[in-house]
Amino acid sequence: MGNNLIGRHTEQHTQPSIQDTGVGKSSIVCRFVQDHFDHNISPTIGASFMTKTVPCGNELHKFLIWDTAGQERFHSLAPMYYRGSAAAVIVYDITKQDSFHTLKKWVKELKEHGPENIVMAIAGNKCDLSDIREVTVKDAREYAESISAIVVETSAKNAINVEELFQGISRQIPPLNSHENGNTGTIKLAKQTSQTSRRCC
Amino acid sequence: MANSNSSALSRRSACRHKRNSNPVKPLRRTMDVSGLKGVCQVAVRSLLSTEETFLSALARINDIVLQPLLRTDQDDQKGKEHMKSLLLLSDRYHAVWDRTEENYKTLKRKYSTSEYSLTLHDIYIILKKDLFLDVYTQYFTCFTNYVVIQGFDRAAKQMSGYWKTNKKMVKQLLAPSVSEPTTAITLHTVLHETIRNQIQQYALILTRLNENAEEIDEKNLVSDALNLYVKLQNFIGQSLDEASLTKILWGSLGSKLVSSLCVPERRLQEDSKYVPVSISTGKFERVLLFDDLLILLQGTDFRSFDLKLVWVDPAPTENSTAASHSLRIITPEEEFLLSSKEPHHKAIWQWKLNQVIRQRLDGKRDFPLWGKSEEGLDPCASRFSTYTFRSECRFKNAVYEGDFSWGKPHGKGTLKWPDGHNYVGDFKEGLEDGFGICLIPHSSEDGYDCYKCHWREGKMQGYGICEYSNETVYKGYFKDNLRHGFGIQESPISSKHPFKYTGHWDRDKKMGYGIWDDIESGQRYIGMWQNDQRHGAGVVVMQSGACYQGTFLMDKITGMGILISEDESVFEGKFTEQLKLDGKGKLTFSDRFTLEGNFISKAGKDLQTRGVLNANSKEQDYDVTRKPQLGLTEFPVEKRWQGIYDPFFEFISSGCREETEESFLGIHVQSSKELRKSQEYLFCQRDSEEISGKIEDVLEALYEYQDLKSLQCYLQKALNSSQHPFAKLLKSLSTVFQATYAGIGANRHLLHMAQEEVKYHAWKTWEFYRNITHVATKQKGQLPDTEEDTEGSEKENSYTLILPVILPRFHPELFMLYMLYHEKEDALYWQGIVHLGLFSDTKLLEFLEVQKNLWPLKDLRLTTNQRHSLVRERCFLSATECLQKIITTVDPREKLGILLKTHEEIETTVSRVMEKEYKLPMDDLLPLLVYVVSRARIQRLGAEIHLIRDLMDPKNEGGIYDFMLTAIESCYEHIQKEEIRLYHFP
Repeated sequence: MGNNLIGRHTEQHTQPSIQDTGVGKSSIVCRFVQDHFDHNISPTIGASFMTKTVPCGNELHKFLIWDTAGQERFHSLAPMYYRGSAAAVIVYDITKQDSFHTLKKWVKELKEHGPENIVMAIAGNKCDLSDIREVTVKDAREYAESISAIVVETSAKNAINVEELFQGISRQIPPLNSHENGNTGTIKLAKQTSQTSRRCC
Repeated sequence: MANSNSSALSRRSACRHKRNSNPVKPLRRTMDVSGLKGVCQVAVRSLLSTEETFLSALARINDIVLQPLLRTDQDDQKGKEHMKSLLLLSDRYHAVWDRTEENYKTLKRKYSTSEYSLTLHDIYIILKKDLFLDVYTQYFTCFTNYVVIQGFDRAAKQMSGYWKTNKKMVKQLLAPSVSEPTTAITLHTVLHETIRNQIQQYALILTRLNENAEEIDEKNLVSDALNLYVKLQNFIGQSLDEASLTKILWGSLGSKLVSSLCVPERRLQEDSKYVPVSISTGKFERVLLFDDLLILLQGTDFRSFDLKLVWVDPAPTENSTAASHSLRIITPEEEFLLSSKEPHHKAIWQWKLNQVIRQRLDGKRDFPLWGKSEEGLDPCASRFSTYTFRSECRFKNAVYEGDFSWGKPHGKGTLKWPDGHNYVGDFKEGLEDGFGICLIPHSSEDGYDCYKCHWREGKMQGYGICEYSNETVYKGYFKDNLRHGFGIQESPISSKHPFKYTGHWDRDKKMGYGIWDDIESGQRYIGMWQNDQRHGAGVVVMQSGACYQGTFLMDKITGMGILISEDESVFEGKFTEQLKLDGKGKLTFSDRFTLEGNFISKAGKDLQTRGVLNANSKEQDYDVTRKPQLGLTEFPVEKRWQGIYDPFFEFISSGCREETEESFLGIHVQSSKELRKSQEYLFCQRDSEEISGKIEDVLEALYEYQDLKSLQCYLQKALNSSQHPFAKLLKSLSTVFQATYAGIGANRHLLHMAQEEVKYHAWKTWEFYRNITHVATKQKGQLPDTEEDTEGSEKENSYTLILPVILPRFHPELFMLYMLYHEKEDALYWQGIVHLGLFSDTKLLEFLEVQKNLWPLKDLRLTTNQRHSLVRERCFLSATECLQKIITTVDPREKLGILLKTHEEIETTVSRVMEKEYKLPMDDLLPLLVYVVSRARIQRLGAEIHLIRDLMDPKNEGGIYDFMLTAIESCYEHIQKEEIRLYHFP
């Protein structure tokens, strides 16, 4: 399923997007939020909306992560989910070439209709199953570079690179202009910045 | 009249004479007198004996003097007045006589039958002392009145023949004296001396009784009566002195003065001839103080001042040199100084003036006349009286009736001009100040302009209502008698050109932002005004739904404008007065075709053009122009209703004083609900929950309810009390909101303006609350909170605290705009809903591709029918019902809470089906949400969603509420899709 994670830098969100169900976007988020593979135990709105605060340098970034439905029929609704997002995570399954194709469609869509300066990250999930890999690391890298996106191969199951994925996003999201965003109140709490992340798929 | 009276009197006296001539039985004397009883008996005996003598004297005087006097003929005017006084005198004379005789007889009868049972209570001059006091004071009042008008002198002259013949008999009535008095003096003496002496006799009897009485109670009783008779003696003496002084004065003045000033009751109290003072004003050289007037004299000229309106200021600041001692005399239109060389002369005048003024204000003389000589009895400065203004000023010829203080109208009063102009209300230091109602007659029309307004220093300032003679009504603020600030002016619907203006004024002219409804043509102008004309940026909305935005110059459309027709075609270009394109322009049809060219519009002809038709406009452009929003940059929200906010904030900065409240915030009007309530109070106990609108209670409450939760409850209640400042503010705001956006103003192109306004009102109301709380805290003697609220949390409070409270006031109009804005989408959505309603539950779940394991039915072996019923019962009914509650509230926070709860209900159902806790990823959640939304069948969902999103606390952005709202919005969008609306199921 198309997966988008949308990250918000205080006032913006992050969104993950994966095309096909089964690529594991939800698992990645669960792993990230709870450091737990089973997404059936998660806070707030089930598995569709999650938050996590991560330290990044001297700041704290709060991710507000929105899940998106990956079914083809809901694709046209995606723009509603990524409007105002700071980052999007698009997930594919390294064992399914198809999922990589769909990913490209998402990227195109995001470039066209998504917010300007949205940080894009590509996550090749299920790297624990590299035996039956269909998408090569090289292909993924080259594609990511062409669209200047972050690329990471992850395994939600084995907790590989999940943390790194979000750290990477954190680093790329421009630092908060504290003057502009001073009205959120979060800044007041010991100078921490928060980052919202929204996810869709 | 006089004759018939006197004959009746003479008949009466004749028969009395007969009675009195009966021989009186000699009184029995008893020797066994002991104790009080004995004392009483002695007193009774002496009383009876003195009364006997007195009564026979009265009879003789009546026969020899009074009756002949009454028999004189009086032809001229003056004579008639004299006779009137004389008749009164005679009447009082008989009153004394009758009272005495009556009581004497009763006592005598008792004495002769049961001498030994007599007690103090039988001595009528004790028990009935007040009655006796009354008849005697009345007699002497009439007597002195007759003296003052020189009645005896006239009588002596007129009847000199009679007096000469009866000289001997008259003389016998007098106590022996050496001198040979004139007839006038003889008459004068005869008619008062005997009566005056009788008081003396009473006093003697009581003195003796008092000495012998033993019991305290009795002693008090006797001494009280004795005191009274002594006072009465004083009174008589003083009255006689006053009368003779006054009589001498009249004798010494010219007849012109006397005829204009002399009335029987008037007495001279002081005269600058005796206690010299000089007058600072004009040429006047003599001051006369009467018991009702202060007179300044110069030859035969005089100026008189009613003492009710004379104030004496003992310490004038100016002209106060050591050599002169002055009193400032203050009257409504004149002030002058009375100066004397001697300090004690000043003291005498000051004391006399104040005493006389006080007695004049009391409406009666002291008893005795200068009885209350103690200090500290200066007259009250505040008085009620009537006065006609004479000097050249605004008040000339006006009659004022009301409270005065120090010569000026001060307090409540009525001022009436001869032309019908009048004012009823509060005054302060001589000018209209406070609340007052003013009627100004209209010369041309037969009617009045009626101002109910607040005044300051003689001018209309602050809030007021004016009902003009042509039935137009203005409700709003005034400055210097002119409409100024915010105000609403409305003409009656029956008038020739009915209109309503809601907006700003500047010195009686429409100026600034304002809304004008032309009721005839059904047009509304929203925009800027100058000098009563539309001038500047403006929007015109029409009943048809079309609207125009452009620039006005002196009431005329000018320059470029944009017209959006009811079918959403957009015209851009130059327009004529009739809103027809004229000249170069562009037309964008609702189907996105554009037509650019030169337009010509002639009266009576269709629009003609030569131009380029473009059928390939970009979709993006189309989106932008589809629902263009008007007025956003032209009318910055913070400047729109400044005229409403300004007085409210000025009220706070002026210190929230109760007396200024109405002038700043508008007049207290009881709502019909409150009236009903107050009537209910007659029957049941007052509700302790009731909120008071009195400003000190408001401040107290705001101080009490500083924590935000209870504050919200308080504010909620406050809005129901029409006197509460919050309610008044909100009332004005919702009034202008309705004036702009209700009716003709319900136009989708105004949505953003309206939405922006509601948010701004919440923010400003919060600011108002903050400021007024500062005042409340200060009044408590505390420093206002120094907590440094950043603008952020302030904004937050306006969303969380204020918006939910005030939104209901704006919701009907606002929601209408949202409905219009989303009309098309909502129609498509409804088609989808109707279509999905045809699906059975299982079919719908299947259609939406909800994973089978999430279906709320386990046993697939059941028959289809069984499954249906099971599904209907369990199939997310709780979630559906939960979502439906969204329309039960207008508060965006509550609506968002309902969305979250709906999600919980879905997850609860799913968890029950799965028999374990299950968290739904979006892939599973979205189809289920679509299912629930389609079953909830909420009308106008698009309007709902966007209202929530626009008025949602911005801090929720990106958060869980935002997410849920977006999820519902995506369902809404999804249902509008063709694939749903037009799906043909197999």
